[in-house]
Amino acid sequence: MKIREEYAEEAAQQIVDAAVLRWQGTRLEAEVRHHKSGMARPYVYINCPRNHWRAVAKWLRFEMGVDHCSMITGIHWPDGPDDCKWEVVAHLMRMNVINPPERGGWTKQVIRDPNILQDDDVPMEFEVSISIPDTRSPSVQSVQEVWMGADWNEKETWDLVGIDFEGHENMRRVLQPHDTPVGFHPLQRQHKIRYHDFEYMYDDAQGFGRKAIDEGKIK
Amino acid sequence: MWISMGPQHPMTHGLWTLKVKVDGETVVDTIPDLGYIHRGVEKICESREFTKITTYCDRLCYASANTWSHSYIYAAEDLLEVEVPERAEYIRVIAIELQRIASHLMWLGAFCPDVGNLTAFVWCLREREMMLDLLQELGGSRMHYNFPRIGGVKRDLPIGFAMRARAKLNLFLNRIQETEQLLDESTVFLVRTQGVGYAKPEEMVNYGVTGPNVRAGGVNYDVRWAHPYSVYDQLDWQVSVERPSIKGADSYDRYRVRVDEMRQSALMCLDALNKIPGGAETHYSEGDPMIITKAKERAEEGKTGFHHFEDSRGESMFYMVGGGDQRGKYPYRISIRSPMFITLPYASKCMIGYKVADIPAIMGSFDPCIGETDR
Amino acid sequence: MADEAQNYSMFNSQGLVDVVGDTTDAALEASSLKKFISVLGGRFFNWGQRKSLFPLHLGIKCCALEMAAAGGPRFDAERFGVFFRSSPRQCDILLVNGPISKKFSDPIVRLWEQMPEPKWCIAMGECAISGGPYYQSYNILEGVNTLIPVDVYIPGCPPRPEALIDGFAHLRKKIMKMGVKSSSERVGDAPIIIGDD
Repeated sequence: MKIREEYAEEAAQQIVDAAVLRWQGTRLEAEVRHHKSGMARPYVYINCPRNHWRAVAKWLRFEMGVDHCSMITGIHWPDGPDDCKWEVVAHLMRMNVINPPERGGWTKQVIRDPNILQDDDVPMEFEVSISIPDTRSPSVQSVQEVWMGADWNEKETWDLVGIDFEGHENMRRVLQPHDTPVGFHPLQRQHKIRYHDFEYMYDDAQGFGRKAIDEGKIK
Repeated sequence: MWISMGPQHPMTHGLWTLKVKVDGETVVDTIPDLGYIHRGVEKICESREFTKITTYCDRLCYASANTWSHSYIYAAEDLLEVEVPERAEYIRVIAIELQRIASHLMWLGAFCPDVGNLTAFVWCLREREMMLDLLQELGGSRMHYNFPRIGGVKRDLPIGFAMRARAKLNLFLNRIQETEQLLDESTVFLVRTQGVGYAKPEEMVNYGVTGPNVRAGGVNYDVRWAHPYSVYDQLDWQVSVERPSIKGADSYDRYRVRVDEMRQSALMCLDALNKIPGGAETHYSEGDPMIITKAKERAEEGKTGFHHFEDSRGESMFYMVGGGDQRGKYPYRISIRSPMFITLPYASKCMIGYKVADIPAIMGSFDPCIGETDR
Repeated sequence: MADEAQNYSMFNSQGLVDVVGDTTDAALEASSLKKFISVLGGRFFNWGQRKSLFPLHLGIKCCALEMAAAGGPRFDAERFGVFFRSSPRQCDILLVNGPISKKFSDPIVRLWEQMPEPKWCIAMGECAISGGPYYQSYNILEGVNTLIPVDVYIPGCPPRPEALIDGFAHLRKKIMKMGVKSSSERVGDAPIIIGDD
C-alpha cells in the first residue's frame, strides 16, 4: 500500500504553483525536488526571505494544510556567501490529519487507502530554507504560535547554534546545563572539539607503534 | 510545592528531571529538565567519516539501535546518491522490524512494573532475549550492531537464520498473546492505565507528536505508508490504529497500539522472509553486489539529504549537509530530529490534573528514551 | 543539683553503657576471647557484605539495558545476591553505566556521598571508563574516575551481562581477600579490570 507516484508529483507541483502565485512580488523561490535515492519521492523546497518567514508559515499552515512541524535547525556558514552566513532550515510535513469523527461517546476510525489519495490529501514533505546575512546576533521570527512543535525545536537551535527567535516566549537552555556561559553555542564553527588536532586513534593504546613525530603528544 | 523527580529515579526510564508542582496529591504544573546525557553527537559527527557515524547513531536511542542507524543510513544515501539493491532492503526491513519488536518489549517490560505488574517484566525480557538472539546472528552483538552500510548491509542472512527466525517469531506470536491476556485480565493494570493521561489527537499533531502515541489517538499516520521508503509497499501489513474515546487517547490505548505493532512487525518479518529476492536460504558473501553497492565517500558542498523514518517512538529524521572538512569526507552539519524530544514536553503537559501516583503510568506509556532526546 | 547528679551518675544511660562496655572489654581481653569474637564477627560481616551487594537503580545510558538484562530471566543476577535498590541510602554499589555529562557531575557526586560506607563503585562500559566514543565531546567528562574512586572497570560497549556478573564475582573475591574497608581507606588500591587476565 503506497501513495501513487504520479499523484505525489502532481500534488507537489500544485503546491509550488500556489506558492509562486501567492508570493509573486517577493524573493521567495519554490521548486519541486526529488530525493536522490530509493523511490525518489518528490518534496517541496522553499527558499524564504527572512522578513516573510512568519507570514509564509501562517500561509502554509492555514491555507496549505501543513500541520506538522518536524524540525527547525540552524547552520553556521562562516565561509559562505555574504547574504547567507547563517541559515535556518525548517522541515515540515503535511500529514492531513483527519480528526476521527465521534459517535456515541467513541471515535470512529478513519483508515484511508493510500492508493486513492490525490491532490490536497497527499502527505507531502517540505524543506524551507531561510538565509541570514552576516551579523553577530542572528535572528529570525519565531513560529511558536503557528506550530506548537516549533517551540522546543527553536529552544534547541538557540541553545546549540545561537540563532535567536524573535517573539519566542520562555527561551532557555534546554540541552546544555543551565549555567553554561552566556554566548557559548557549541555548534558554531569556531568551537572545536577536544583533541581536534589528532582524530585518528592509535591502534595500540599504550603507544608502542607511535611515529617519532608524535612522541609526547597525548592521545 | 515543587517536587523534583530527579535524575536518579526508578520510574523515569532514563536520566531526566521532572519538576512537579503539587497541590495536595494533584499535579498542577510540570517542568521537564533534560540534558543530563547531552553528548554533542551532532558536533562530534562533524569530524567523522560517513561510515563511522553509524556507530554513533546506534547509540542515540539505545533501546532501538537498529532503527536509528538505518534512519541515518537512508539520509546518508540521499546525500551521497546511492542506489541500494533490493535484497539488502529486505534484510534491512527484517532487522528494523525485529528491533522494533525488541524495543516495544523493553518498553512493556519497564512499564508494567511501574503500574504494579512484575510478572510481565520477566516475561517481556524473556521474549526480548529471543529477539536479541536473532539480531545477534544478523549483526554480531546484542545491542549496538552497526549493521547497515551505505549502499547495503554488512553481511547477508546467516545460514539457517530463516528457519530459526520463523520458529522464534511464531513462538513469539503465541507468547505475546499470553502476555496480553495477563494484562488485559488484570484489574490492577486496567484501573491504573484506563482513564489517565488523555491526549487529544489534534493537540498531539499540532505539537509534533508522531508514532504510536498519535496512532493511539485515532490518527492514521505512519511514515511507512505516507512517505514510503525501502520495501514497505511490497509487504503485507496493517497500520495499528486505536479507537479511543472522545476525551482522547489514554495510557491503555497507547499500550494497545504497541502490542498490535509488535504483532504487525512479526508478521512483516515473516512476510519479508518469504518474499526476499534470492531466497532466504541462500547466503551471499560480504561485498557481493546482491547485498551492497559501493558508495562514494565524499559529498560536495551544496548537497543536502534528509529522510523521514518511522522509528519505534515516532518519526525520526536526519538532515545532512555535505561539504565538510577533508574536502567533503566529513559532513558539514548533521541535524537529528528526535521524536521523544518533542513528545516529552507534551507528555509532561498531559499529567496536569491527575494524581502524583498516575505520573509513572502516564510517563511510561509515552515510552521515553532519553538517549535520543538528549543526543 | 550537681551533687544529686553525681550520686545517680552510674544510672545515667551514657555512664551505664560506658561502665558495662569497659568491664566487658577487660574481661574478654583477659580471657583472650576478644580476638576470637572479633575474628568470627569480622568473617560473618564479610560474608554478609559480599553475598548481598545492592547496587543503585541508576540507568544512565545503553549499559543500563544490559544491566536490566542481567537482572532478567536469562542471566539472573539476583541469585548472586545482587538486588537493585532505588534509594542511595540503602545501597553498597554505585554502578555507573553511561557517560557523565557536566550537568550530571554534581548529582552523581551527591549520590556517591549519600551512600553509606562501605561502598564501592563499578564503572561499566566505555563511557564511564574514559568517556568512550564521546571522549571529544564538549559536554562529557573523560571517565567517572575524575569524580569518584572506581574499584572495578568493566570494558565493553556495552559489556555483555555475563561480564557484569563477572565484575560482581571479582569484587566479591576482592572483598573476601582484603576485607570490608571504607572507600577512604581504599584510595591507593589497584582497581580490578575485567577481562585483563
